[in-house]
Amino acid sequence: MQDLLILGGGPAGVAAGVYAARKKIKSILVTDSFGGQSLVSADVQNWIGVKSASGYDLAKKMEEHLRAQDIEIIANDLGLRTEKIRGGFRVTTKKGKTIDAKNLLITTGSRRKKLGIPGEAEYDGKGVAYCSTCDAPIFKDKKVAVIGAGNAGLEAILDLLPYAKEIYLFERGEALKGDMITQEKIKNDPRVKIYLRAIPLEIKGDKLVNGLRYRNLADDSSVEMQLDGVFVEIGSIPNTDPVKDLVKLNEFGEIIINHKTQRTSKAGIWAAGDVTDVLYKQNNISMGDAVKAVLNIYDNINKK
Amino acid sequence: MTTPKKKVIIYSTPTCVYCKMAKDFFQKNGIEYTEHDVAIDLKAREEMVEKSGQLGVPVIDIDGEITVGFDPDHLTHALGIKS
Repeated sequence: MQDLLILGGGPAGVAAGVYAARKKIKSILVTDSFGGQSLVSADVQNWIGVKSASGYDLAKKMEEHLRAQDIEIIANDLGLRTEKIRGGFRVTTKKGKTIDAKNLLITTGSRRKKLGIPGEAEYDGKGVAYCSTCDAPIFKDKKVAVIGAGNAGLEAILDLLPYAKEIYLFERGEALKGDMITQEKIKNDPRVKIYLRAIPLEIKGDKLVNGLRYRNLADDSSVEMQLDGVFVEIGSIPNTDPVKDLVKLNEFGEIIINHKTQRTSKAGIWAAGDVTDVLYKQNNISMGDAVKAVLNIYDNINKK
Repeated sequence: MTTPKKKVIIYSTPTCVYCKMAKDFFQKNGIEYTEHDVAIDLKAREEMVEKSGQLGVPVIDIDGEITVGFDPDHLTHALGIKS
């Protein structure tokens, strides 16, 4: 039985792995990928100590740092479910492995929220896109919609501006969210049209996307618009599946933690990063919180 | 024993990280491939949409078998790579 099983290989998981190894806690880390959600960012400028780097390069550096430690790593797999066993927990992975550990640290992050409207799944990859850095160049001279006016939505517009002919930003609220500095950049471009209080109802298409139907809340009308692509940027949902029946979650499905120790409601399970109810979802914060978790786990192991 | 070489084509964009991962994977495993940048090569973009029905990268063509996205397990299997 391991002393510690870490689920996830984003900033939190990797930071936890490095600290656990240095504390000589007998640990194992399971992840399907390294680097977390910033992996797809073209340019990360707020990683402290690095002025500018691609998410991919940062991910490779994180993986390299982790692999230099004395820690067992199971890559290309992920934890699916957890059961309580005597003296610890048993986690079953997607590929059918079982791992027993006395303590668990959940750093599984979050994934993109979907619209859940007709046509979205049908046209996924056929005009419906979730990765603007990846797919923006394919929409050269096309007419596209971006759903969601938070930072992710605004950044999707910045990714699209060098390519798309017209960009329609849909936001259900009354105003743009996201950083002022980005808002100004997109507001000044005549190719960007902003539709506030507008809710997408259906994505239409033939072989590929050719339209979007939405509700205009101002007069409660249903409007159809012709376009070639829909980029969905409406936030994220925490990846709590492996432990959702064991620990307490809040109304957003985030794991409730003690913010001093990163402990969850279940003794023996800690959590850090975007999967938790931490107020600010940031790479730098996830790493620090994971370090807090490991130090608390270390104290807990040595108290016994 | 060597298996006959398969023809590998990847349709990509310069900013797509999963394309980079796929290309890194090919290089690490000594797989030769042809790359089409669909951000500038509009003919290749049409070809990609026609082959895959997809408007998303990467699209990978291995001897006519099309996959979308980067899945190392699938590529290992499709290319007959011994791990």
